[in-house]
Amino acid sequence: MNIKFAVAGFVLWACSALATEVVTHPAVPMDQLTVTQLRAIYSMRQQNWPDGKAIRVFVLSAKNPIHQRFAKEKLQMFPYQLDRIWQKITYSGLGAAPVVLTSEQQMREMVANTEGAIGYIENSDELSTLKVIHVTQ
Amino acid sequence: MNYPRLKSFMLRSKLCLILLLSCSWQLQADELQWHGFISQGLIQAPETNFVNLDDSISAELTDVGVNMSWALSEKLRLAGQVVYLDGGRRYTKGTRLDYLFLDWTLYSDFDWRLNLFIGRFKNQHWLYSATRDVPFTRNAIVLPQSVYFDSFRDIAVGSDGLALKATRNTSIGEIELNWSWGATNLSKEQSQILLSTQAQGNADQDYVHQASLFWRPDHSAWQWGVSLLDSDFSYKKAELDLYSDGAMTVQRVMLNGRYAAEYWELSSEWVQERLDISDFYVPGFKRNSFSQGWYVQGRYNLMPRTWALLSVDIFDLDKDDRSGVKFSQSTGGMVPAYFGYQDDVTLGLTYDFTDNLRLTMEHHWVKGTARLAYPVMPDLQHNKSEYWQMWAMQLMYWF
Repeated sequence: MNIKFAVAGFVLWACSALATEVVTHPAVPMDQLTVTQLRAIYSMRQQNWPDGKAIRVFVLSAKNPIHQRFAKEKLQMFPYQLDRIWQKITYSGLGAAPVVLTSEQQMREMVANTEGAIGYIENSDELSTLKVIHVTQ
Repeated sequence: MNYPRLKSFMLRSKLCLILLLSCSWQLQADELQWHGFISQGLIQAPETNFVNLDDSISAELTDVGVNMSWALSEKLRLAGQVVYLDGGRRYTKGTRLDYLFLDWTLYSDFDWRLNLFIGRFKNQHWLYSATRDVPFTRNAIVLPQSVYFDSFRDIAVGSDGLALKATRNTSIGEIELNWSWGATNLSKEQSQILLSTQAQGNADQDYVHQASLFWRPDHSAWQWGVSLLDSDFSYKKAELDLYSDGAMTVQRVMLNGRYAAEYWELSSEWVQERLDISDFYVPGFKRNSFSQGWYVQGRYNLMPRTWALLSVDIFDLDKDDRSGVKFSQSTGGMVPAYFGYQDDVTLGLTYDFTDNLRLTMEHHWVKGTARLAYPVMPDLQHNKSEYWQMWAMQLMYWF
């Protein structure tokens, strides 16, 4: 029995360690976003926070597993849909695509140091410099 | 609309773009972004006038573009793109200013946004209209001709004028509303792609007025859209001309939908187009007809980096004469009935070598010639077969 609890505990710990978290710069005046709002931000259609400050959107590359899990779990979209939206706005003049970062560590640093920034991470043990956003349905 | 002014607008626009590109080195990276693409392919469509007239394999499948987006302030942005296109006889070959507009954010709060675009902007109303010249944004090298008729490409791709875009997050999902008003200045060559080389006069688009609504429901893999188009054209004959002075009205009602799954997706558009012609062929001539078309494209992710395409595209020149028989009879049997429809089944394969280097190949099996040039004057000499085929392959790179 104890072994079963230990295994279940390990699985829960492993799952929570891999859970994708949406994070922002600490000064962003939001604690939660709906899926629709998060989609609008990552589709680059919503460009200002409620206080009027510009939203700075950061992503990891489409092939990065963290990006793929973020797209499916948080945006309820697939990476190829995001690529198409960003290509459409980039090549028809409607706006700019998000800034692509190379690693989760760089994502932490850029979001923590850029006013109005939003991004996502998976290892949520070190969060003192970031604000975690709760995504609701 | 005063066309000499439009021509001077184009010239000024090109000069502005060159000036902006030349001074871009002194701007910060987040204020100015630039991107581009280059692609080259091979295409063959024997027994038709679609690409060339000698039935040979053609390298006239080139798309090159470079664009920039410059944030002037929090509310103002300038965006421009120059492209070089070569599609053989499908549309006008050469370098052109694809878009150059000022994007003014009139209102923005957290759940809705309203933007005004002034200048030359892309058609944002159909699924692929905004990026139909950008090869890696299309599912197929040759888009479904029922909706994306290549002879109309230069008119449908964008306009000089004003446009509005509003997006709103609601309790039922995201709503996007687009409105535009403007016109396209037609060159002699563009006119002749539409009206045949026998047209010696001047064709003008007086205006094109469009509106569209897209709905992306919450918790759904679907996206739905509807769009309307109204446009008037006028033709002023030359001294020696096959045609007479005339006027045309084109009106479109369109519906579209897209479903996205993890390893496959479906996209579809339906169009009904009213074409009203007054005079033009001969003084006193009058014809009002309704064409209909639709396509469904399915893509399947066969394996990592590889997508397969199956596309069905159906077009009838007159919805009350789908076999084309009445159309043929109206010409005394001179024009075969297969000029009254065009149905196309396409199989394709796309492979991504890297994140921005792609090869696409496709084969079309086609019945009918209603979407081959010229829309107002069937080319009996070169479109001799009811059944014809086409293949194409294209290598594309973007940054």
